[in-house]
Amino acid sequence: MQQTTTISSITFTEVFSIKDGAIYQSDSEGCWYIDFAGKLARFDYRNLLKLKKAVYQIDIEDKLLNNGPSADVEIIFICACDHCYVLSLLQIIKLKELLQGSFVMLELNHIIFDRLHRIAS
Amino acid sequence: MKDIIRIKCLLSSDVETLINQQIKKEAHSSAIYLSMASWCNRHGYDFSSDYFFKQAEEERAHQLKFYKYILDMGGTAISPEVTNIKIEYNSFREVFEEALDQEINITQSIKSIAARCTKEQDYITLEFLNWFFREQREEEYKARRALELFDVIGEEGTGKWQIDKHVGQIAYNSEA
Repeated sequence: MQQTTTISSITFTEVFSIKDGAIYQSDSEGCWYIDFAGKLARFDYRNLLKLKKAVYQIDIEDKLLNNGPSADVEIIFICACDHCYVLSLLQIIKLKELLQGSFVMLELNHIIFDRLHRIAS
Repeated sequence: MKDIIRIKCLLSSDVETLINQQIKKEAHSSAIYLSMASWCNRHGYDFSSDYFFKQAEEERAHQLKFYKYILDMGGTAISPEVTNIKIEYNSFREVFEEALDQEINITQSIKSIAARCTKEQDYITLEFLNWFFREQREEEYKARRALELFDVIGEEGTGKWQIDKHVGQIAYNSEA
């Protein structure tokens, strides 16, 4: 969790990673960078929550069982955000896994922060 | 690693979602009261119509209170869509029965937010909700008293006219 990477003068801390992608946090910018589906995209607090909501709302089971002619592609477009994802079903599952893991880590970070710095001091 | 989520917003996403749902319920409730005011007015129950207009305004005020709270705490308040508002009622009594039902639903819903806050140790939101609990005491009291008028006065003869006249006079004065 505390693995730090520097890419072109911005310091990232890895929040969570899977084989196909990772989420990094930038403390100085107060935002997150998502490395997924071949691009590195910057998300601020509100957009990250919107992305989480958009991805969590996709009914993966329904898509798996759906035999209709439509392609298994989901377009994740977030209002007031520069990025848009066009993902296959497998990618959606992976992105969801990545986000779930990241939010658990952020929650854990919150608990640790509380215990070590806020409550203890 | 900084705790950015906590820096940006005091509310957890679960509590924020619950309060946003509550905003929708208050908006819905306000719209229903307006509809009741319309029905009463159309059927000649002027005092009841005024009573429901006031209730609609109160619910709207509650909605805004929740709305501003989310914004003040750094969250995202969502302006709700209000649909499925009943236009017709079968009887004068049914209007008041539904009004009480409405208030009970609101109370229960605020209780469930408080339960979540207790679980998360979100004492700040819990303290904020206290005002609503006091308010719901009054709202439920008024709705229950109004419905009781139907049994106390009775609907026969000039009963409905009497009930309508008394509805506007119901007040909750408890100091407790």
